Amino acid sequence: MKIIAQSVEETIIYGEKLGTLVNSGDVICLTGDLGTGKTHFVKGFAKGLKIEDSITSPTFTIVNEYQGRLKLNHFDVYRVSDPEEIENIGFDEYIFSSAVSIIEWANFIEELIPKESLRINIIKVPEKGDNYREIEVTYKGERYNYVKEIEI
Amino acid sequence: MIVLSIDSATESASCAVLDDDKLLGEIIFNYKKQHSVILMTMVEELLKNVALTINDIDGFVVSKGPGSFTGLRIGIATVKGLSQGTGKPFLGVSSLDALAYNMAFTSGIVCPILDALRGNVYTALYKFEGATLVRKSDYLVISIEELIALLKKQNEPCTFIGDAVHIFKDALTDSIGNVKFAPVHLDLVRASALGELGKASLALGEHDDINTFAPLYLRKCQAEREYEKKMSLLKDE
Repeated sequence: MKIIAQSVEETIIYGEKLGTLVNSGDVICLTGDLGTGKTHFVKGFAKGLKIEDSITSPTFTIVNEYQGRLKLNHFDVYRVSDPEEIENIGFDEYIFSSAVSIIEWANFIEELIPKESLRINIIKVPEKGDNYREIEVTYKGERYNYVKEIEI
Repeated sequence: MIVLSIDSATESASCAVLDDDKLLGEIIFNYKKQHSVILMTMVEELLKNVALTINDIDGFVVSKGPGSFTGLRIGIATVKGLSQGTGKPFLGVSSLDALAYNMAFTSGIVCPILDALRGNVYTALYKFEGATLVRKSDYLVISIEELIALLKKQNEPCTFIGDAVHIFKDALTDSIGNVKFAPVHLDLVRASALGELGKASLALGEHDDINTFAPLYLRKCQAEREYEKKMSLLKDE
């Protein structure tokens, strides 16, 4: 399905609504070019999870952990050149845990993503405005059926 | 010789103190991995309750793996620090050896299985020859199906033990005849078993090197993973 966000705020709101619905163990793959608003999306998502810490990009740390309604593992694998590098930090232990995991640039480590996951791809549409975004949402696994309820 | 042993290879964390004749004390927690928070306080509490200080310890034993990447690093970093600080030797012992040792004198194959996620287990096959635990295979990380195929070839009674037992019990019971499962209280890697195994070697002067010792991480190689990915894609189509 496809959601239209007319502004940065709407991208954040979509993230927040998703954050209120996710369950323990969910894995969310977040893709989109540089500057499409992935981190904004995660900020909203964290708010939905009732996380009070401010969210910073884990580009250099690879993963940041937060505690809210559920534990959140926020990955950014942009700098990773080989999936093995991510495996070596104990990736499986993070994603197959009771925490929620959100992975920016998940396409770089496709082979490590579990079959059942929620995929969110944010696309810029410059001709419709600087902050206009199409948010493509797909998933495998009934556990993610809740995304159908989300509207902005 | 007084030995302090530490295991944090899996979900559980434990530490134990053994002397030449007995186990003086052991603490085990098996509740949400939180090794980096609890491990040192456990060691402190244990030593206090057996009226020892860290300087009374003659050697350290640590789980070298396989197991949780993060857990292994925490345990090994801790023991390296203790070893360096006290100037006493340390030795790594396999978590699988320690698990198998829990089933002393079992006849047939003893097969420890630790959850390696994605349907895989860390495992090895063991037998007791008299009082001696003998490993009969390499340390492996394989899918449960591969393990079942391997054990069917052995055609011997088999006893399973470890934290993956509760996940695969039904699959193992259904596909292999003559299986037994360890009682639940033995399913953890216990620091006391590690200590017992390591103590003999330490007493002989064997030890590991603080600068070169690394955890035994077992992983499927890249080629295997790519092959499996291809096969699972074919299955999906």
